[in-house]
Amino acid sequence: MKVFLDYCMWFFGGVILFYMLFVIVSYCTMLVIAMLDLRKRYKLDPSEYDDAHIDAFYSKPVSLLVPAYNEEIGVVDTVYSLLNLRYPQTEIIIINDGSTDHTLQTVIEHFQMKPVDKIIRTNIPTKQIRRIYESEIYKNCILVDKENGGKADALNVGINVSQYPYFCSIDGDSILDEKSLLRVMKPIILSDGEVIAAGGNIRIANGAKMQLGSVTETHLPNNYLVIMQVIEYLRAFLMGRIALSKFNLVLIISGAFSVFSKKWAVEAGGYSTNIIGEDMELVVNIHRLIKEKKEKKRIEFVPDPVCWTEAPQTLGVLRNQRRRWHQGLFESLWKHKKMTLNPKYGLLGFISFPYFWLVECLGPIVELGGYIYIVVAFFLGKIYYEIAILLLLLFVIYGVIFSIASVLFEAWALNTYPKKRELLRMILLSFTEIFWYRPLTLLWRCEGLIRFVLRKSDWGNMKRVGIAEKEKNV
Amino acid sequence: MMKLSISFLLAVIVVLLVILFLFTMYLLFQRQREIRFEKTRDTYLQNYSQHWYNYLINDEIFSIVLVPRGRAQVAAIEMIFSSYLKNIMNVKVNHKIKEFSNLYLKKFYEKDLSSKRWSIRMNALYRIADLRIEELLDTCQQFEKTKISEEEFFQLLKIYSLFQPEWFIEKIKEPEVNYSESEYRRLFVLLEDDVFIRLFEDFDSWTKNIQFAAIDTAAVKRNMQYIDKLKQLLTHEFPEIKIRALKGLYEIGVIDEIDPYVPFVTSDMWEARLMVAKIFNHAPLNYTYTYLEQLLQDENWWVRSQAAKTIAEDREGIVKLQQFMESSNDQYAIEMAQETVVRKQGNK
Repeated sequence: MKVFLDYCMWFFGGVILFYMLFVIVSYCTMLVIAMLDLRKRYKLDPSEYDDAHIDAFYSKPVSLLVPAYNEEIGVVDTVYSLLNLRYPQTEIIIINDGSTDHTLQTVIEHFQMKPVDKIIRTNIPTKQIRRIYESEIYKNCILVDKENGGKADALNVGINVSQYPYFCSIDGDSILDEKSLLRVMKPIILSDGEVIAAGGNIRIANGAKMQLGSVTETHLPNNYLVIMQVIEYLRAFLMGRIALSKFNLVLIISGAFSVFSKKWAVEAGGYSTNIIGEDMELVVNIHRLIKEKKEKKRIEFVPDPVCWTEAPQTLGVLRNQRRRWHQGLFESLWKHKKMTLNPKYGLLGFISFPYFWLVECLGPIVELGGYIYIVVAFFLGKIYYEIAILLLLLFVIYGVIFSIASVLFEAWALNTYPKKRELLRMILLSFTEIFWYRPLTLLWRCEGLIRFVLRKSDWGNMKRVGIAEKEKNV
Repeated sequence: MMKLSISFLLAVIVVLLVILFLFTMYLLFQRQREIRFEKTRDTYLQNYSQHWYNYLINDEIFSIVLVPRGRAQVAAIEMIFSSYLKNIMNVKVNHKIKEFSNLYLKKFYEKDLSSKRWSIRMNALYRIADLRIEELLDTCQQFEKTKISEEEFFQLLKIYSLFQPEWFIEKIKEPEVNYSESEYRRLFVLLEDDVFIRLFEDFDSWTKNIQFAAIDTAAVKRNMQYIDKLKQLLTHEFPEIKIRALKGLYEIGVIDEIDPYVPFVTSDMWEARLMVAKIFNHAPLNYTYTYLEQLLQDENWWVRSQAAKTIAEDREGIVKLQQFMESSNDQYAIEMAQETVVRKQGNK
């Protein structure tokens, strides 16, 4: 029995150590790529591009889709932020997904919506549309009232109703910076359509001052849980998105703020309604389509454009959110598992999929295993101390050092939180990450995996539950 | 071995923490400098904005106190100039800004062009074009000979298009120069009419992106002398060129004859049929109705929809659509006509 236990401990210790080293090397590589990219742009004046492209002549019209389910509080501010956008040609389509609160009435009253007759081209089959309204004050603002069918179905209705060649999905409680659409469209415009989808950077709005749909001042919130999420968003941004995007390997662009070419999205079947991570699913489907049609198209993540969203402030809501994200990630990867290591899909199959499987999806199990190993090792006696200490040190590099590095590099390159005190607070809090925040999120993510295995079919018609559920996978 | 690894990892962590600590110190120091920079810039803005207004708008005499001393003051002047250039169209103001920049800002941008940092060089190129610092043209040409990025070369083209159009035309002919359509549009919009017309005359020798950008720019300039050029392109061998030309003509919005457009009513390309349906919006309905009725029964939804909209725009349009609904047996066309009539009446 003891021999067996010994073997188990050595085996698992080795696997976890090896895994941690692999993850640390991957993250380091991505951090270096991201830094080289950001360093080039350091201090470049962005207004030059904005001013040149504010004219409709250089840009392409975009339909802005705002799916809303029970969002009577946030939706008006979101629409105002869209009306404030500096972009020459847009239409705003608010889709009320059978809300049970006063979302419909609030929008109708606030924007003086009047019913109109309109024949809609059904590019993607959806649930029934009840009525279409048009604003009397803002001619480019449309409200679609439909039967409840979930966020994906609402977005598909938006795509059907839209008249422009590009659409941008925005969550019903998110706020866009006035130049964000202009900048997220930049790769699409400059590449003459070679880039067919682009996602923007999501930031946490808790603590920011807002007025009529615009963020006027950013402050670091007081809630430690939210600050940890701010740090986590910075990490994800520096150690993932930028590097993957450089090689056209992005699998997730945030559903809270992303632009797609309508033609490609329709051809990919629109948003899938039977899956939790509908945004990731659409991106993977489009990637698939690109490879199958052998076309030279790209999907990009744009580091600069900012969409502000509110982060969960309590453990309960955060748990719910992380569980759901992880379940969504696993579901999408599982559905497209055949793409993994499939030469037909090139680097996507050989780098992106294995990375998402090993680091993003199965990572929590191994990492949590590491935490358990450390605890067990200290009970079992000193022969395992060394592996346990090694693991602990790797966790320190992985959790603490990477987090501090992300906070500092972000402060250097983009400077979202300009006050010295805020910077120091984030650095100090990063030291505590491995002791509470990391294990908690690991547990919740593992819970998501278990839920996927046990209750696969329960997630058919996912309703959105409230303010904290809006931002998609970090 | 394990012991060695632990000490190795500990050493790695300590080294990394020290590096991060030093980086934090550097950042804090840097931030302090930025704050000082912003303070100087804001003081200049506060003290001299009114002087600038008096000099630029009220024609008061130029004061030497306005000459910048240091980078922060240059930044303040850039902000002042940018707001005037963006918000006021005044030849005199533009001239004064140009004169001042050529005299007092030149040396700053000249120095920036030799910076190691790409972003600093780019910012300098932006300013040279925006503030029309013609005196740096030679420096720019020298700069072109160094190893520069595609973005920098694009900015150089912009500068050439402003200060030396001949050189610009030569440069874009070079085979290794290849930008996107939208970038060429950004360049062509800046060209004087005579240079642009010349560019148009060599139409077939250009690459596709230049051709498309030239058509779109001709459309947006809304200049009558481009109409004939665009009409000539309606018989071009490439379908995409024909569609773009149709789109350009629609955007200019002056239709003096319908004959050149009639063949497109039966075109194989739905995009061409759609553009004709749009173009007929600018012609009287009694000349175009026969064709529009044909387009109303088109197999393509967009074409049908546009044809119905164009008919409905005319004073007699609604009546014509109602007559059509009574006489036709094309269900799709009738539905489209009906929707358009309902919408039109709803809007009244």
